[in-house]
Order: sequence, then structure tokens, then C-alpha cells
Amino acid sequence: MKYSILFLFLIVCCLSSCDDELDIPNPNQITNESFWQDGIDAVQGVNACYSTLHRPGFSRWQPMLYDLRSDVGTSNSPWSELANAISRFIQPNSNFGPVVDVYVDNYVGIFRANQVIANVPGIDMDETLKQRVLGEAYFFRAMHYYHLASLWGNVPLQLEPSTPADLPPNSPEAVVWAQVIEDLTLAAPNLPLRYSGADAGRITRGGALALLGKAYMQIGDYGAAAGALEFFFSGEGANVYQLTEDYSDNFQIFTENNAESVVEWWYADNPLEFTDQDTQTPNHNFGTSLAQFYAPPGIGFTDGEALRWPISEFEEERTLDDMRDPRLAATYLYNFTNEAGPDATQIYGASWTQRYGADNNRVFFRKFLNDHHKNEEGFRSTNNYRFIRFADVLLMYAECLNELGRTAEAYQYVDRVRARVNLPALSDVMPNLSQAEFLEQIKHERLLELTGEGHRFNDLKRWGDLGPQLADRDPAFNNFQIGKHELLPIPQSDLDINPNLTQNPNW
Amino acid sequence: MCQSIIQKVFITLLLLCSLAAYAQGQTSVTGTVMEGDQPLIGATVMVLGTGSGTVTDLNGAFLLANVDPTDSLSISYTGYRTEVFGLAGQTNFTVQLVPDATDIDEIVVIGYQTVRRSDLTGATSVVKAEEINKTVSNSLAESLQGLTSGVTVRNGGAPGEGSVIEIRGAASFVNTNPLYVIDGMIADANVTFNNNDIESVQILKDASAAAIYGSRAANGVIIITTKSGRKGPIKPSFSITSGIQNIPNRWDLTDANGYAELQRTSFTNSGLPVPPSVGDDFDPTINTDWQEEILRTGNTLDANFSASGGSDALSFFASASHFRNKGVVIGRDFNRTALRINSTLNLGRITVGENLVVTDNNITRPLGSFDTGNPFFDMATMLPVIPVQGDRYISDTNPAGWGIGTVDAVSFSKNQVAVTDLLREKVNFLKLIGNAFVKVDLLKGLSYKFNVGIESSNDLAKGLRRFGVTQFNAAVRPSFVQDVRVDFGSLLQEHTLNFDRSAGNHNFSSVIGISDQQTSRNYTLASRSDIVESNGVPFDQINAATGESLAEGGITDDYRTIGFLGRINYNYAEKYYLTLTGRVDQDSRFSEDNRTGVFPSIAASWRISKENFFNVPWINDLKINASYGTLGIVTLGSWDWRGTINNNPRAVLGSIGVGSYQAGLVNPDLRWENRKSQNYGVQASLLDYRVTVSAAYYNILSEDALVTNLPIALYLGNLGGSPPVNAGSIRNTGLEFEAAYTQQAKRLKYNVAVNVTTINNTVESVGNQGEGIDYIQTGLTRSRVGESLGEWYLLQTDGIFQNQAEIDAHALEGNLIQPFARPGDIRYVDVDGDGQITDQDRTFTGESPWPTLQLGGQLGLAYDNFDLSAQFVGVFGNQLFNSVRRELDSYQNTNFRADVSPWTPQNTNTDDPRIGVATNDQGLVDNARFNSDRWLESGSYFRLRSLQVGYTLPRAPLARMNISSLRISLSAQNLFTLTKYSGLDPDVQGNGILERGVDAGNWPSSRIVSAGLNLGF
Repeated sequence: MKYSILFLFLIVCCLSSCDDELDIPNPNQITNESFWQDGIDAVQGVNACYSTLHRPGFSRWQPMLYDLRSDVGTSNSPWSELANAISRFIQPNSNFGPVVDVYVDNYVGIFRANQVIANVPGIDMDETLKQRVLGEAYFFRAMHYYHLASLWGNVPLQLEPSTPADLPPNSPEAVVWAQVIEDLTLAAPNLPLRYSGADAGRITRGGALALLGKAYMQIGDYGAAAGALEFFFSGEGANVYQLTEDYSDNFQIFTENNAESVVEWWYADNPLEFTDQDTQTPNHNFGTSLAQFYAPPGIGFTDGEALRWPISEFEEERTLDDMRDPRLAATYLYNFTNEAGPDATQIYGASWTQRYGADNNRVFFRKFLNDHHKNEEGFRSTNNYRFIRFADVLLMYAECLNELGRTAEAYQYVDRVRARVNLPALSDVMPNLSQAEFLEQIKHERLLELTGEGHRFNDLKRWGDLGPQLADRDPAFNNFQIGKHELLPIPQSDLDINPNLTQNPNW
Repeated sequence: MCQSIIQKVFITLLLLCSLAAYAQGQTSVTGTVMEGDQPLIGATVMVLGTGSGTVTDLNGAFLLANVDPTDSLSISYTGYRTEVFGLAGQTNFTVQLVPDATDIDEIVVIGYQTVRRSDLTGATSVVKAEEINKTVSNSLAESLQGLTSGVTVRNGGAPGEGSVIEIRGAASFVNTNPLYVIDGMIADANVTFNNNDIESVQILKDASAAAIYGSRAANGVIIITTKSGRKGPIKPSFSITSGIQNIPNRWDLTDANGYAELQRTSFTNSGLPVPPSVGDDFDPTINTDWQEEILRTGNTLDANFSASGGSDALSFFASASHFRNKGVVIGRDFNRTALRINSTLNLGRITVGENLVVTDNNITRPLGSFDTGNPFFDMATMLPVIPVQGDRYISDTNPAGWGIGTVDAVSFSKNQVAVTDLLREKVNFLKLIGNAFVKVDLLKGLSYKFNVGIESSNDLAKGLRRFGVTQFNAAVRPSFVQDVRVDFGSLLQEHTLNFDRSAGNHNFSSVIGISDQQTSRNYTLASRSDIVESNGVPFDQINAATGESLAEGGITDDYRTIGFLGRINYNYAEKYYLTLTGRVDQDSRFSEDNRTGVFPSIAASWRISKENFFNVPWINDLKINASYGTLGIVTLGSWDWRGTINNNPRAVLGSIGVGSYQAGLVNPDLRWENRKSQNYGVQASLLDYRVTVSAAYYNILSEDALVTNLPIALYLGNLGGSPPVNAGSIRNTGLEFEAAYTQQAKRLKYNVAVNVTTINNTVESVGNQGEGIDYIQTGLTRSRVGESLGEWYLLQTDGIFQNQAEIDAHALEGNLIQPFARPGDIRYVDVDGDGQITDQDRTFTGESPWPTLQLGGQLGLAYDNFDLSAQFVGVFGNQLFNSVRRELDSYQNTNFRADVSPWTPQNTNTDDPRIGVATNDQGLVDNARFNSDRWLESGSYFRLRSLQVGYTLPRAPLARMNISSLRISLSAQNLFTLTKYSGLDPDVQGNGILERGVDAGNWPSSRIVSAGLNLGF
């Protein structure tokens, strides 16, 4: 009797399959399998790519890696490891946080773009919108590889949505550049010339072609670069862009997304934010903390600042009505930002003399700060970062034409940039420059027009000017070893994980 | 659905069985249990092999009905040797019990069953409540330190913080938390648990013992039996312990003058102008001892009141307790109030009982934030030239003028006094744990039990941030108030059938059952910025704030585990033992294909001392045993195997657009972690039971170990934390040895117990990490196949360069290996021989964060009414990474050790390199490299964990006041520690399993001196 009871009990135990009761759905989030169904999902997917732009590695540290490692900027941060890493070519180690953050954020953007590129083609949705979304995603993937190629060179190429076990080898820098070019070539035709309303600020065809021009220039293919940039002069983009009347409009919050803007990173204030981590909560920081880190002492952290030597380059120029080049005051805060001197120079509501004493010779980058509308900074600067301006495109195109031996043809584009700030035309003051002389002049023009906008390091690299000889301008270049410091070290943590990766040369 | 079918079947079974029970007919026996001429009240009388029994009444008498004349009785009483005898037809007995200090026959709870300690086949440690209660501690785990072999405990220290506990080593990359079973309810015995309620603690260490808990038992099981009522008059008792608490050690640091002098030297050495803070503007009136500002004398109070009693039918136990701890660091407090009640109602064949605990726990501490810091780090590094508060620090962002680093006195350390003022949190845990059961004796030896347990916890963390800064250059955030509410619920339902039978020399006891547990947790966060204050008192209610509101919430856990369990214990004449245990578990935290796990085990014992050939008069008992089995553990969240879309990104464009994508990578093929565990043991009682010794060897292979913190490549762009993966296998082997000696003379009684543990931990596999990679790298450590988990993997230092010639000589093919070095800098070993010092030169230092030997000792001494006891703990052979000393000795933006002696050409006989400012000086940067063996130190220590003297007042005068016992005691905890470690305390929790030896300002163990009073009525 009792054995049969036991037997019965065992049967009940074994037969009661409770699998259905063990399927507990996740009520917090939609699963991957249920997403990517319609056009709304596609747009939200590519929106995530834009979100990368206000992540701290991308919006704060990356501009510093370009400006402060060049000869126009330095760091006197009290955080000596930071100063060494971002301006003095001394990496405390290759896992150093602020540097690695830039690497990470670019790959975060790539992961986001790869998901759009992999999933959107299969969605049944409006075809024009689908192609636009894909174009945007290809642009973002290219843009992030552009930065990785510029800063780290030989990085692994992730072209599919990542899986935890991916162990790719490094791709040689040339292959990374080729990917940038391929993606931008795919992106451009699918992108519109302009957007309006809620879509304002999305990537345009001009944006993709301007970046394509930059990429070709960095690998020395000036012919292809000129081909891409022709869009702006003889192509569909000929009437889309123009220089703003006031140069400083390009660095202030009231004149964002203006006619000169080709690619612009948008920032906004989110009063609810409590973190920079954009996947943690919707209440993350929509702004950039770059201004807080660049602002002068007493206002910001001053982890990066400008070197003084370019001021004399600005002072070589006089406007047609014999005034100082207006770009100087727009570029720098220093004791003569106001030509009348330190007593008249206003630094966030107080005179230079009051704040630092008349003789203080420090110089601070001014572009993208907020001193034009308030007297403090913070982590939530809303000042959009103009990544590519039409003035840059003009100077790029002029440089390409010069490289292609079409120097005479190149003059007009430089002159447009000079004319905006009322400088005499180059064709008047320096006619008939040789190709080499014209390149030297381009270097001067780009310094005056673009300093503090994150282009200088790549300019020096393209021109072959990086080297210890720059120590006259920036003593940090005493530490610069040719063949090593053009690139940053691949983070050691990735080398530790992936044996197919090798460190950059000489690191 | 499935649940209701099972219940129906059980009801049917019950009916069938009660019918069957009528078929049996038996006799009754009566008896009296005595010690000498005193009746023993509440002694347990069991019919062997049946599970039925009773307890003795006020006169020591018992009555057992329905007994078979061939049955045997077992009479047991805590503290007495159990008597077993056959009825042989007799129906009335007077049984004399003999006091027994060896506990060999005490009843041990092994999960769904009880066995006599002498019948154990698996590795089970029993810890006595009285040893646990000799220390004042936050949690049970903390009290267990050193009390038994194979259990490693590292203390948390902060008020209301738990301890890290490992049973037989770390066999997981994720967590080492054992399963706690409190009176049959699976629930965590964390800081909310009152140790005074403990009757006994059993620790199941091997697969045979723990397999009944299957998928959750791999880290070991701690079974807690709380006090329960006994038959007899109501016995109230009261106890109170009150003590003062402090941190025994301080850092020896420079004061303002000493700091200023070294700082001037540093800047002068680097050719830089001396900062005004230590130069022209040096203010000798500011000399802040930050340790003095932050540390204080804490105190503890532990009061308990309980009452128990019972009649034939009903017994109960009730207790109320209050524990409070004013922490040794400002701004930290903990208190706990607990109520417990349990009762058992005996209705013949049916027994009904319940157990209920309600605890109210309150923690006060600084609100965790980016600028909260760690007091044990900041108190060492913060500069003495910075005052706690000062007018010169008052600014828009620092209205209270808290002293923080400035441009001319750079420090990024947090002002911890400001932290406690600006960042406040009060956490309340209201927790209820309870279970109720009905047990039905169906047939002789066959009983059914239905057990329902619940655990419910409502947590409220009220956070408040006042406006201000705690640190130089910290981001300014608006003030806010926030409420975080967490609801936790767990429901356990278990049906078990126990069947015990003896026939001749064949003794069976067995159990089968179903266990179903559902657990869920959800949280809601609400906050609003811009708080309102009145006369400096902030309003901490959300409605009082005036700024922006914020809400978050979600279900963080929702999972279910259904298990089918069974065990058969068999022994022949208490000579040969065999235990078979099995459990099949299904768990919702895995995908359907990976959901089911099978966990079998087998154990066998041989009591050699019962063999006829065995004739060693001084060995009273000798038993050997062996076991083998498989256990599992889930170290996952509820949905970790399924990728989800993250909706938090935002496109900042003409309007703000929602962004969605899979942010976190997942591994869909997650499986159980399995432990294959072998145990071989021997136990013996010697010299008339005065000496007990036991030894065990174990070999536990952890397979498919989940790695949730496996570093994931940055190029994957993952932002979801590291996805768990079944990546590794780890083997733990070791020896455990315990010995105890007890002497019970007329007036002098004493006992000595020691336990020794060795744990040898080896990583056997790290899964597919990529071609040629046989390790997992985690910060300062590497877990490589063939080595232990998380062994130090660091650059090797080799002294100090004494002159340029030595620097020049440290070269490869004419190129300097350290081109930036100057005399007085640290020499590193170019391990990979590439002519430079890079991260590639990291290597296993040969030193381990894991101890080679752990010791515990207990000493007890009683003479007449006086008693004295001591507990010792020893840990030997491990190396700690002293991260605080690394910060001090970096010389950058920190205070200095008072005994630092930086190298100079005149001061060459020193271990401290040259001092200077590291900006633009690679040599100084290199000297302070984090990942170097310069910061490793021996973590060996030997500690007097507790020392207690007590006096029990004579009974006679008390009896007139109706007091049955009164004991007063004086205790000291952590009175002395022998160690060479230069940090505050070598007992560090570390930074997770893989960086176990990192001391980044670990909260040190406190010294507590307390007085106690125990009163029984």
C-alpha cells in the first residue's frame, strides 16, 4: 500500500512539467527580437547614433585630444596624469580613463550604427525614409572610424553588430580609412540636402561629402577629395552654404545651425539630468562639459588652454580698414581679447586684471564657451560644436586644388574666407605664390580661421609637420617621438582580451 | 495550474494514509527522564526510525502511544548524552541522562530531515549559539569568523554592513554567498537578522550535505535553527550588552608643518615656485587632523527579551530585541528592532507550527554620489593645511565654506565632514520572514509536511543632497531630495514526505518532496531638485522641494525555481552508512533549453569503532566517510540571457528624439554553474569522549563557472556591463582539521578547540578567451589557468636607482630601459626584455591575495561561578595591495606619511623614491605607477577576536527574587592583532572575488569593549 503511494508521488513529481510557469517575461524592456518592426523603430535606432554625440568621451575629451596634443594647446591641469596624457605625449598607461573614454564612445557609436545597418534593410517601411536612415547610420559609422583612424590608426574594424566573442585583428590604418571612404560614399546619395523642423540638425549630403573630403585629404588623395568637395561649388550643394557675416556667430548659442554649418553636434539643457551616461536613464546630460573643462580658472577646470604664439600670427593681418583680425578675439580669451587691454577685457563679468592681474600671460580657448551669454560654466553647455564649417570646406578645397597644381584656381576660395573678416584678398596681397608657398599660406589661413575647433592635430599630421621641431611653439613636443606619438596606444585592456590585436608601433 | 494538481494529489494521499493508519494497533509506554534526582523537563523522546515522539513534562515524565513493542527509544536533551534502548516489551522506564560536552549525539538539521550528529555522512559543521553570541557583530557571517574550519569571513565594518563569507574557498567568479535556510525558509540572514535568536547553526560544506538544496547550494548552505519553546513553565529571560567601539589604528601622517616642509621640498626639487599655501601664505593656525575629525568613539547596545514555555499541546517562544550601533565614523549609525514569535501546536497526528520575525532596520549614512568618497581613504590623503571650514572657501557653489582643495593646495580628496553634512541618507528596511507548516503522521514512520514560507521586505532609502561641494573642482549639482522604495517578496511552498523505518539492524530514513520558490523585486525612485531649508534644517519631503521632478521604476527581479528533491539515509547497525541525495531544479532565469539541472550525490561512512576487531580502549568513536556529488548555483539576474532594447538615448536635434538600440550585449546560452564536489573525512572521539578530532580533505571542481565581470573588449561598444558567460572552471582543494578537548572536573571546567583550514584554489579553465589566452585580466590581477583566481599581476620593482650610472646600466643594447628616470627613481624589471617598461612587463609576482593557512581557536574556562573565554583568528600567507599607501606615496596632491624618507643624494638608504611634482616628469609618474608590486604587503595576521570574562551569581540568593540565573560579563573584541601590514586592518574585503586583496580604504575592524548582563527568570 504505502509503496504504491510513494510510487504515485514520484510519478506526480516527474510528470508535472511546469515549464510554462517558468516563462516569465521581462516587463521592463522590449526584447531585441520584437524591435526593428517599422519606420518608427528605424528612426529611433538612428536617433541612438546621435545620442553618442553628447557622451562625455566624445563631447569633452575628444576635442581635447585634437587641440591639446597639437601645437596650439596645452594642459596645466593639476591632475598631472591628465596633463601628461592629453598634452604632453606621456601616457600614464594605455588604459588611462579620459583617453580610453574617447575610444569607447567612438565604438559605442559604431555599435549603434551597425545595429541600424544590420536591421533596417529588413524593415517594411517608406523607402525614402529607409534610405535616409541608412545614410545617416553609414555616416555615423564613418565619422567614428574617422576619429579612430586619426587618433589610434590601426584599430579593429567592427562592421556587424557586436557579439561578446568577437576577436577581430587590427586593421591597418589604410584599411580603416578605406572603410570611412566606402561608408561615406554609400551615405551621401541617400541623404537630403536640407532638413527642416524637428529633423533640423540631422546629417545632410553636404555633411557626408565634407567628411569624405577630409578623409581623402588625410590619406593624401587630393584628387578624390576635390571630387567630393566639388559638390559645394559646382554640384547640388552650390547654393546651400554660405559664410556667416559675423565670424563669431559660429561659436555662440544664438546663431546655431546657421548657413555656414555643414556638420554640427547639437547640445541642449536637460534640467533633470544626473548623469552623463546616456543609456542609464532618459534623464542624462544633453549638453557637453567641454566648456567647463576649458573655461579659465575661477570659472571652469581649465584642464586645457591655448598657447600664446599664434597671437602674433593673427597680428600679422590687418583688415582693409586697418583693424585687428576680428577672429583673434573670437578665438581667445587673454589679456588683450579687448584690444584696449586687460582692464577692458571682460572675463565672465570681471576684468582680466581683476581676475588674474594685468601681467598674466595665459591664453584660453574661447570658441564654444558661454561667456557671451552668462558668467559661469557647468557640465551642461548647450553651445553646439560646429564640427565642419563651410569656411573649413573652402580652405580644404583650396588646399586640394593647390595640391593638384591648380594653385591659381585655389585663390578664390581662400579669398572668400578672408573677405568675410574684411582682410584683403590674397590675390591682391600675395599673388602668384608657388605651390609650396601657397601651402604655407594655407597653413596660416587655417590657423587663423580654425584654431580651437579640433582640426589642428590632423592638419599637422597631413602636412607632415608633427615632430620635436614644434617644441619651439609647444615644449611638450620635446617628448614627441616620430613614428610613435602620431597615434595613441590601443587600450591595454583590449590587448589583454584579444590576442589578435597588436599595439601601435613603439608603444 | 501545476501547483494545484500537486495539491490535489496530496490531499488524496492524506486521505488514503489516514485510512491506512487505522489498520495499525500498538501499545503505550510511559517513563521519566532524570539527571540524578532532578527531573529533566523538555527532553526529547523519539521512537527510532519513525519520526514520532514527544517531550517530557514538568516532572520529567513522558507518555508515548501507539508504540510497537519491538521499537527502540531515543532520549535526548541538549547538553546530555543521548540514550538509545530497545523497549523489549517493557512499558515503563526511568532513564538517567549523563551530561555530555561532546555533542556527538545532538540532533543536526540537514535540510528537510534531522539526524544525530554521529550519523552524519557529509561534511557538516555545527556552530554553537553561545560562541556566535560572544561577539558584537553586524551579521551572522561576521560572528562565524574563526569558529569553524573551511569558512572564511572578511568583515565589512560599517554599521549595518554585511561580511563576505566563503565556504571552502571561492569557486565562482561572481559571488560566494552561501544559501541561508532560516527555520526552513530560504532567506538571506543579512544584517537584519538577530543573532540572539539562534539556537544552532549548521554549515553544509560538501555535495552530500548540500545536494538537497540542489541548484542553490554550490556555495554551501547555512542552516539556522532559531530558538523555540519547550514544554514547561514560562521562562522569561533578559540580556543586555553595551559597549564602546573605536578604530584601534590610525595612519601616522604629517601635520601641517611637516606637510608644508615636504611640499616645499617637492616643488623646489622640481624647480617650481612653492605654492603659497605652504609658502608665503602658510597659516600655522590651520593644522587639521582629518582622522580626528572623521573618526569618533562609537558605541553598541544589544538588548534582548524573550519568553518561552509550553504545555503538552502547545509550546511557544517569543522575543523582542533592539540593537544599535553608533558608528566609529561620523554620520554613520545602525539600529535594528526585531520581534520573533514561534509556536508549535501538537494535535496528536497533526502538528501545526509557525515562525514569524519582523525586523525594523535603520541605517544612517552619507548618500552615495560621485563626490561621497571613502572616509578611510580621504582621511589619510586630505591635506592638513585645509581647515574643515573657512571663510576663504565660501563661494556661490560652496556657501558653507567647507575646506576643499584649491589651486595652491591641490587635493581631490573629499572633505568627509562636508560629505556627512551635504549628502545624507536614511535607509529603512522593514522585513518580515516567516513560515508555517502542517505535519501529519500518516503511518508509522511516514509523515507528510506542507511548509509555506514568505519573506517580504519594504525598503525606503531617503536621500538628501544639500547645495554645496565636498571636493575641489567637483561638478556643482543642484540640491535634491529623493525616495527610493524597494519591495521584495519571496514565496516558498514545499511538500515533503518523510519515511523512517528500522528493521533489525537496518535503519532507513528518507525524504522526497517538491519545492517551489518565487522571488520578485521592484523599485520606484522619485526625486525633486532644489530643496527648501529653514534655519539650516533641510526639509526632506519631496513635496517641499521646488525644482524639477524625476521618477524611475521597474521590476528588477522576477524569477521562479521549482525543484524535486529526495534523499535516502541508510545505515546498518550504525556501522555502515549510505546516503543518496538528488535534486532536479528548473529555473526561469535560463532559456528553455538550459532550464533544467540535475544534482545527485552519494556519501558513505564506516564506523570502524563498532567493528568487533576494533579494540582500542582510548578511542571511543572512529568513523570515516566519503562523498561525491554535483551542486549548482545561479549567479544571474532574471533575464540576463535575453537581449533587450534600451530606450534611454536621446537625439538632440530640432526636437529631442527617443533613441533605441540594444545597449548591452548578452549571451543567450547561459547555463548552470556546476560544482563537482568530493569530500573525504575522518572523525574520532578519544579519551572517554574528552577529545574530538576531525579532518577532511575536499576537492571541488566548479565547472561552467559564470563570469559576469569578465572584462569585455571596448571595441564592442557595449554599455550594458559585462555580459555573463559560462567561461571558467575553478578547483578548490584543501584540508580541514578540527580538534577539541574538554575537561569537566567538579569545580574547574575547560575546553580548547582549534580549527585549521587550507584552501588551494586553481583556475582550470577560463573558457574561450581567444587564441593563446588562458587567463582573465581584472585590474591588478590575472586569473590564469594553473594559478589561483585573481593572482597579483603587476610590474616588478627592483629598488631605487642610486645614481646616473645605475640608470645608464639599466639598458638594452645601449638604449636606456627607463630613459626618463633620474637618481632616486624606482627601477622596474623589463620582464619581456623589449628594452622598455610597459604594461607588457606585468608578471605574476608570486604572491597571492589568498591565504595559505587559516586558523581559528576557542578557549573556555570555568571555575566555580567564574568563566573566561577567548576566540582567536589567524590568517597567513596572503598579500594585500595597499592602495591608500600608494596614494600617500605618490606624493601628488596628498598628505604624506610622517615617516616618509624621500631619496636624496644624501639620503640613499631608503625605500622611498625622490620627491617632486609629477607634471611633465615621467620619472615621478613611473614611481607611483599603480600596477606595481611596490604596494603589495603581507596580509598575515593573528588576532584575539574576543575575550570574555563572566560571573554567574549563586542561585540561592537569587531564587528568593524569583531569578533563576544571573550572569554578568565583560568582553573585549579585537583587543590585539599581530601583523606587519601597514594599513589600518589586514582583514579586508577587497574589491570583489577577483581583486580580493585590494585595500582601497577598507573599513577596519573595530575594537569593542562591552559589558553584559544575562538574566533568567
